[in-house]
Amino acid sequence: MDLTRLDKRWIYLLLLLAVGIPLLVKVKLPVRLTAETEKVFEAVETVDSTGFVMISFDIEASSLPEVRPIAEALLKHLFRRDQRVIGLALFPEGTAIGYDLISSIANEYGKKYGEDFIYLGFRPQYVSAILQMGEDIRSVYPLDYLNNDWTMTGPFSGVRNYDDIELVISVADGSLPTYWVEYAGARHGQRIATGLTAVMATSYYPYTESGQLVGLIGGLKGAAEYEQLLGYVGGGQRGMLAQSSGHILIIALVLLVNLVAVRRRR
Amino acid sequence: MELGTLVALILTLAIFSFLYRENPFYRFAEYLLVGISVGYYLVIICRNTLYPMVIDRIFIRGELLAIVPVILGLLMFARLSRKWAYLSRLPLALMIGFGAGISIPAMLQARIMKQMSASMLPLTSINGIIILIGVISTILYFYFSKKQEGFYGNITRLGTYFLMIFFGATFGYTVMSRVSLLIGRLEFILRDAIGIVS
Amino acid sequence: MLQKKIPIAVGFVLGLFGLVQYYSPHPEVVSAYSELLDWVQVIFAFTLVVGVISIFQINLKKINRRERFWGYSIVTIVALIVMAAAGFIEGTGTGTLFVWIFNNVQVPMQSTVFALLAFLVASAAYRGFRLRSKEASILLIAALLIMLGRIPVGGLISDYIPKTADWILTVPSMSAKRAVLIGIGLGSITTALRVILGIERSYLGRS
Repeated sequence: MDLTRLDKRWIYLLLLLAVGIPLLVKVKLPVRLTAETEKVFEAVETVDSTGFVMISFDIEASSLPEVRPIAEALLKHLFRRDQRVIGLALFPEGTAIGYDLISSIANEYGKKYGEDFIYLGFRPQYVSAILQMGEDIRSVYPLDYLNNDWTMTGPFSGVRNYDDIELVISVADGSLPTYWVEYAGARHGQRIATGLTAVMATSYYPYTESGQLVGLIGGLKGAAEYEQLLGYVGGGQRGMLAQSSGHILIIALVLLVNLVAVRRRR
Repeated sequence: MELGTLVALILTLAIFSFLYRENPFYRFAEYLLVGISVGYYLVIICRNTLYPMVIDRIFIRGELLAIVPVILGLLMFARLSRKWAYLSRLPLALMIGFGAGISIPAMLQARIMKQMSASMLPLTSINGIIILIGVISTILYFYFSKKQEGFYGNITRLGTYFLMIFFGATFGYTVMSRVSLLIGRLEFILRDAIGIVS
Repeated sequence: MLQKKIPIAVGFVLGLFGLVQYYSPHPEVVSAYSELLDWVQVIFAFTLVVGVISIFQINLKKINRRERFWGYSIVTIVALIVMAAAGFIEGTGTGTLFVWIFNNVQVPMQSTVFALLAFLVASAAYRGFRLRSKEASILLIAALLIMLGRIPVGGLISDYIPKTADWILTVPSMSAKRAVLIGIGLGSITTALRVILGIERSYLGRS
């Protein structure tokens, strides 16, 4: 059997077993914290108790398995601190996902819609939406997701623009955090943090290093770190054993194939 | 098992069946996904965007200036006809021209000035020196108007190595990301659908 | 002639305004800028609706012409109508059919399509990752260190593995990405200026 020319379906089967079997076992692995995730945690911890936090669900359904644990951890942290949360979405699919997430986590902590959190929904053309919220959020969202007029009464009626928002968190699976940094951060001096898929994470290190992003939660591992900081076991920590074995399989396959190739050359 | 979970399980397995070979179940699921997604988009745009930004503003709040973007937006429908498609150029020019204008100061500040200033770290630290060398050599690599040979060629080759490290790191994270998605789907199958995992 | 000249003139005036307003604190300028941002969002919403109609048209054409897999186009159109009807009639709140279809049909399928990529990435790594050259070797070593350094097992083998992964991400990889960002920024500004000045006209389509 030529190990360098295995049918790809054998690779698929090996990966399925490598990732599937660890999910049957309840083992909690120690998760090493990274500075980027800790900075997001500290940023939320330093928000004033009366301050508002905006969380933007800039995601699509395709990345939900990876991004959901990040969003859940962030929302749990915010509601645990009795922070008032404004949710919105700049991708259409993120609209329903974001509403579902924010409502379910708020319910866990006994938080009420309109008093502890509101959800504004979707706006197209994210650059315009981000820029205009720097002038007047109410002109971008005259009504909330449930078509209520949130601008007239309630604790959120006083929120006008980014000056009233202490922190914006973009939970993303694409390049939306770049636009938050360029338009809300650069123009209006808004503090931005992000939780995003691992595939996008390497692209945002220049922004964390320059201070344009206060921090970054990258992928399922980032979610596991945040859960560890909060002291609970969620989707991130549950997936670490399967993640580890999946990586080890791929590393082993690559090393094996190269070792065989090097031996053949000699 | 709830009906919703059963439906989700069947469709998940239909998509996964592609791994063996393309088949009618996968194709059905693919076309179904397109239809559902487009229907979803239509509802969200109309209910969550057009209603508050157009219907509510014009007919309830009486902001008549909002009629102007509605007219411009309706001109976009001209794209569906070859004969009248030229009418859509006006709203397109508005969006793209204005978008180009607002992007220039943002890019200049956030991508160029801020990133350049962040690269100028104190040269007393090794990491600071590496970052400065990395940024300069990689930028020079992308300058194709000068032939990359001799001493200049050595600098650009160094830039290539930095780029390879970036691509390698990105690939490593890409593997992490894709495996995470697989974990999510397998968790659904094993926990929510079959119930092997509590 | 006017079919292109007027849009180019509009693009020029508004592009210039978009650039200049950044530096102007005058209330009239800020007010006009806010109004334009509003207009762009409304126009874009209509553009998305055009996209939806376009998909409808394409699939109807496929059915009429009995093209390959035309039967599946019926599935697409029926699904579109059912989802839209559910959303418009019953609404999008919790417990509605719209949300049920989204959670039990769209989300699972979309997540699974992307989960397929895990298998494809594993297969691609197995087939393509070879120590063929210096550059390929650097890429391979960086990828392996990140994959090992970002899992808990890497830290259990040696503390240097995650530390090396951290260093790779925050120093050499970051500096290359920074250079790419600066390059893209310069290129984007150039393209934006070309659009404003009417040199770049591809967005207007053919005459």
